[in-house]
Amino acid sequence: MTAARPVQQTEPQPTTGARLVVESLERLGVEVVFGYPGGAIMPVYDALTSARFKHILVRHEQAAAFAADAYARVTGKPGVCLATSGPGATNLITGIANAMMDSVPLVAITGNVSSALMGTDAFQEIDILGATLPMVKHSWIIRDPADIPSIFKQAFHIAASGRPGPVLIDLPKDVQVGAAVASSPFPPDPPGTAQRIDPAQVRRAESAIGAAQRPLLYIGGGVRIAGAVEDVRAFAHKTRIPAVSTLQGLGVLPVDWPTNLGMIGMHGLRAANDAVQACDLLIVLGARFDDRATGRLASFAPNARVVHIDIDAAEIGKLRHADAAITGDVRIVLPQLNPRMPSIDPWIKQCAASKAETAFRYDAPGDGVYAPALLNELSKQAGDAFVAACDVGQHQMWAAQHCEFSSPHAHITSGGLGAMGFGVPAGIGAKLAQPNAHVVTITGDGSFIMNIQELATLRRYKIPLKIVLLDNASLGLVRQWQELFFDRNYSEINLSDNPDFAAVAQAFGIEAFRISKREEVGAGIARLLAAKGPCLAHVLIDAKENVWPLVPPGKSNSEMMHGDSQ
Amino acid sequence: MKDAFLIQIDHAEGSLQRLVGLIERRGFYIADMSVSDAGAFREVHIAVRERDAGRCIHALGRQIDKLIGIRRVATNASAVDHQGVSVCPA
Ligand SMILES: Cc1ncc(C[n+]2csc(CCOP(=O)(O)OP(=O)(O)O)c2C)c(N)n1
Repeated sequence: MTAARPVQQTEPQPTTGARLVVESLERLGVEVVFGYPGGAIMPVYDALTSARFKHILVRHEQAAAFAADAYARVTGKPGVCLATSGPGATNLITGIANAMMDSVPLVAITGNVSSALMGTDAFQEIDILGATLPMVKHSWIIRDPADIPSIFKQAFHIAASGRPGPVLIDLPKDVQVGAAVASSPFPPDPPGTAQRIDPAQVRRAESAIGAAQRPLLYIGGGVRIAGAVEDVRAFAHKTRIPAVSTLQGLGVLPVDWPTNLGMIGMHGLRAANDAVQACDLLIVLGARFDDRATGRLASFAPNARVVHIDIDAAEIGKLRHADAAITGDVRIVLPQLNPRMPSIDPWIKQCAASKAETAFRYDAPGDGVYAPALLNELSKQAGDAFVAACDVGQHQMWAAQHCEFSSPHAHITSGGLGAMGFGVPAGIGAKLAQPNAHVVTITGDGSFIMNIQELATLRRYKIPLKIVLLDNASLGLVRQWQELFFDRNYSEINLSDNPDFAAVAQAFGIEAFRISKREEVGAGIARLLAAKGPCLAHVLIDAKENVWPLVPPGKSNSEMMHGDSQ
Repeated sequence: MKDAFLIQIDHAEGSLQRLVGLIERRGFYIADMSVSDAGAFREVHIAVRERDAGRCIHALGRQIDKLIGIRRVATNASAVDHQGVSVCPA
């Protein structure tokens, strides 16, 4: 007698598109999805209740995208956010743009009205594929539920490979409820194509370095993305070439690395900007000559030849001619670069002297809280476990200038988009990704209120995120520009009628306290870091404090204003 | 000056919109365009002009080449260079 054929085990049973979505996410190893339900995504939410991953219900879709973005920055794996059609989808857009500008792997999933209604201006119908085209690496409208597994697989691969970025998957409602057997088994990983690094360009780079007298490493966010921190440290150690960093490259070299001159650009350090202007060779590692870093491009590094290493061929030569152009992952390229180093001792000495002469000081007069000193102290107290999730404004620039980051993963900041409201949701994503870290959101009173509703998310999931709110009762960075470049004609920057933020946090069920004097700072930071649950330190600072140094917009980095900083 | 591209692109939904949007967004004016169905893909002939002096046709070629679903990009400005040194920026 022959045994009955086990039909159920060999032939996949039809299931719904929504179920295939959940199964695909599970098979892709997703551990957390940030989202918010609504009519056009309800079948997926229905299937979610049995999912093996966690869903975090945020209180605004923008926060879902920001949290998923930060989760991705910390883990290196794609972050996932989920929203309904129409307003749910449009609320994701700022977060998608943020991920695009900072090359973050993000998978945004939206519901849409049924296929037959698409194009009819149906209730909550938005062409989200069209609306997000300029800010995604790729996107799909899935037309057949059977394609869900293969498209999800492809989407995760595209988001995370090469230069990472966001992708969008739009799911019409009929596709979510439609029955299907996956059209093909879950596809295997595409074969990794070995990167071909052009040896001729490598030799060109080596001879440019060999001929330089004042070479300088220009470290960008691509180093973190490539996982090349150790390679860059080894190269910088071996060659002793001084280094500067973009906002996104901070932490690749520790602050006390002798030849690390720190951040360049609009709020860069003087020693760093001066070194760029004086160097005769710029070795660009995973950076893109962003205008906030370069100031007026025509006068940026005027005496330098350029070696440009980047995974994205389209970045090379986009804004600055490269004398040696190496398309490839910094982690793969750098070990192949073995220049015969010329003697650069005078240059190293010049850079070190400039670094010492122009170092920040923390002895500002007065007994009010001095934000730069507080942030420096915060990073020191939190130590190697410190991860800052920054909002946008003066506080963001102070954090970049004064926090001592032990790795680029310790600094999560909205660089390319500069999106206020990023800080709290980014803190949520980062803390969920790295529960043992001291994750601290550094925010301002303007930015904080842009996603203040996420305090409810902190409370619901008991996420022990710490928040330092630097309250200058104004939109400080805008106020500073009005003071310096618009003749002190202050327009719509006054936030002196802010709510009592500590009381607001407490109303959300979150521990909060206030710091208003310099002498309270040390103990306040200790209390914040020691708190078991989420905690907010509401810090009152001088409304007239400015961020120095500053390169005026459109000017050369050689034309820095120093204010009262030196 | 007008430069012409020949582009082979997948049939995927949104692919033409993606291509045209990229070209305009990157600072080029589309002077002429034709699309034909070549079976497994679509073939697009497109003539573009920079909107201002700061635009680099080679950078545009590389940006088009990066789009998912592009099979081939060729331009009369000179072959689009996948690895090489761009000559456009000063
Ligand atoms: C969503 C958004 N809207 C507007 C801006 C423009 N902007 C940049 S910084 C800033 C002020 C930020 O104020 P606050 O969060 O209080 O920080 P501060 O500068 O005072 O430290 C504004 C309005 C922005 N970057 N993002």
